[in-house]
Amino acid sequence: MASEQGRGGLRASDADREQAIEVLKAAFVRDRLAGAEFEARVGQALASRTYAELAAATDGIPGTLTADTPPGMPARVRKQRTQREMSQGDLAEALGVSRQTVISIESGRYLPSLPLAFAIARFFDVTVDKMFGPDEEKARAR
Amino acid sequence: MMRFIRPRLRKPLLRGIALLGIACAWVIGSRTWEPAIVIAIVAVGQTVYRYIWAGEDTDESALQGSRADERQKQVGLRARALSGSVALAAAYIGVVITLAVKRADAWPFAALLAVTGFAYLLGLSSYGSGEPGPEDEVTAGHQTRSPLSS
Repeated sequence: MASEQGRGGLRASDADREQAIEVLKAAFVRDRLAGAEFEARVGQALASRTYAELAAATDGIPGTLTADTPPGMPARVRKQRTQREMSQGDLAEALGVSRQTVISIESGRYLPSLPLAFAIARFFDVTVDKMFGPDEEKARAR
Repeated sequence: MMRFIRPRLRKPLLRGIALLGIACAWVIGSRTWEPAIVIAIVAVGQTVYRYIWAGEDTDESALQGSRADERQKQVGLRARALSGSVALAAAYIGVVITLAVKRADAWPFAALLAVTGFAYLLGLSSYGSGEPGPEDEVTAGHQTRSPLSS
């Protein structure tokens, strides 16, 4: 505990701050952080001078959450949509499906058919594999 | 004929017509108008209600309004499958109970059981793969495996 406190007082490097921001990004992509909170925490991480301040910026986020682990299919669809500042209704209209279906896909309750998967990938200008492929770590583990 | 009717109105109208059919059957069978008029009013009312309901933004409304997407169609299909299974079970229970109590009235349940059973077999033959096709020459005699399963 004493050593932790001692380390908390040490000055954090740029690499430490970047690592903390990567963790925050990963949490945002997985919907663990809202947009406003993400921005606030990134600002807090950038302004952090010590390890203790950096730890406060990533407080409550699991340490295993890193940007190296790609998000699952539902989060990828959500991420692509929010990046384009589209509502679920807008995406549904563009794809010719109902808003409830987009909600189901983004929540992981429904796996789209091949034609719809292609339509989604084409709409976001990414490959089907990139959008709907299994998580790389999980695929490697099999 | 259905093409000329708005998709949103199709299913509500069909259900209304089905109810009107019951009203007609009542008039033919019992020669009394009063219950038939009540059924007809209910038929018109439920058609209007279902038409309004079909315009809402829910899965049920999309199915009702004949504008369901692939997931909603799947939901509808599963609901139909469940209702078929329940009808089959109800018919079976009906046969068992009527046979145990009064033998003469068992035939409608038996007929329902036979029809649902036949419909199931018809579904298998219609939607199943049918007769197996000739084996591909390349893979003939060999067990092919997906590279993903290795």
